[in-house]
Amino acid sequence: MAGNDNLQIQVMRSQLGRVRGLGAAKSGVEHWWVERVTSIALLPLTIWFVVAVLMHLGAPQAVVAHWAGRTVNTVLLLALVMLTFYHMQLGLQVVIDDYVNDAKSHLATSLANKGAALILALFAIVAILRMAFKAPAA
Amino acid sequence: MVEFALPKNSKVGKGRIFKAPAGSKKTKEFKVYRWSPDDGNNPVIDTYELDLTRVGPMVLDALIYIKNEVDQTLTFRRSCREGICGSCAMNIDGVNTLACLKPIEEVKKAVAIYPLPHMPVVKDLIPDLTAAYAQLRSIEPWLKSDTNPPPDAERRQSMEERSKLDGMWECILCFCCTTSCPSYWWNGDKYLGPATLLAAYRWIADSRDEYTGERLDALEDPLKLYACRTIMNCTQSCPKGLNPAEAIGKIKQLQLERKG
Ligand code: SF4
Ligand code: SF4
Ligand code: FES
Repeated sequence: MAGNDNLQIQVMRSQLGRVRGLGAAKSGVEHWWVERVTSIALLPLTIWFVVAVLMHLGAPQAVVAHWAGRTVNTVLLLALVMLTFYHMQLGLQVVIDDYVNDAKSHLATSLANKGAALILALFAIVAILRMAFKAPAA
Repeated sequence: MVEFALPKNSKVGKGRIFKAPAGSKKTKEFKVYRWSPDDGNNPVIDTYELDLTRVGPMVLDALIYIKNEVDQTLTFRRSCREGICGSCAMNIDGVNTLACLKPIEEVKKAVAIYPLPHMPVVKDLIPDLTAAYAQLRSIEPWLKSDTNPPPDAERRQSMEERSKLDGMWECILCFCCTTSCPSYWWNGDKYLGPATLLAAYRWIADSRDEYTGERLDALEDPLKLYACRTIMNCTQSCPKGLNPAEAIGKIKQLQLERKG
């Protein structure tokens, strides 16, 4: 009878044993907390950046590079991109944890996520530093 | 990966239609999910037309009427019929709630009734909750204390200490919240879900319990606790008006606090 297929049992471990599993990983607090802290820190930084970009609309490249070369601006820009990519990586990891259940693909996507965030952040950092060191110090 | 479509054997088909008897004064349609493990068929939606003048006010009254007068094969759980036992939790009109507390009047069109979402179905409106019960068992929902109680009295608690349990002792473990939680749908094998986390916080907040640290240890996990994404479906669906999302937030606060 077709219905009997439903009765085939592959796992006989008790439900409690399955739920306890390997136990708690004793982590997760930091991920949760840093995700929130970075998002709050990014609020003023992003507003500052958007205003600065609007003020430089249409400005020639040299003017923008000069602006980025001022120590305050260089530091804030670096903080902005580092926090942005770190926050992005944390947030995407949560999405991966939710939607990628298979252990192998989970490891692969997690590594790809962290690697991509790192490379992109490095690109942005190098670009900022090049502007900073080209412009005359101010 | 997340499944975006139902597996083949869960696709819901059209079912039978039970017309209201001739001379009915106030008819209403009830569309009820039906599935039996015995025949190997896919689930179907059966339609029952009832004369509301013969039926009590709540959705559970309609189900009982169907079982008694129309179709004895309809299978569902109920016991107290007054919102205390948690047996009659199901999905009515798209929302998880208790059939005995849900007035038929509140549903404007046909009343759609399904089992609690994303759980294995035992039959018709009965979900298999054994995994959820095991999760509840895993947080050890009982008093743990190394101090002996007074020999001739119960353990004492101040009014303030006792008031910390308000909003939690009322939970009837119907699992409406847990089965409404998308995080639980995706990762229910690892995420403990709002009902169990509310119960965990009930013991964390109990001044008589001396195992707070161990309880927090057992929850400190990216998925067991932190898979809660504060979506708030749980709080919205709770038929007892409780706030599991808030309790989960408090557990996260304590986890942070003890890191210093
Ligand atoms: S607040 Fe947390 S537990 Fe409640 S529905 Fe959202 S993810 Fe689930
Ligand atoms: S918190 Fe509410 S919805 Fe969740 S199990 Fe308890 S009573 Fe049911
Ligand atoms: S029958 Fe007990 S809660 Fe509905």
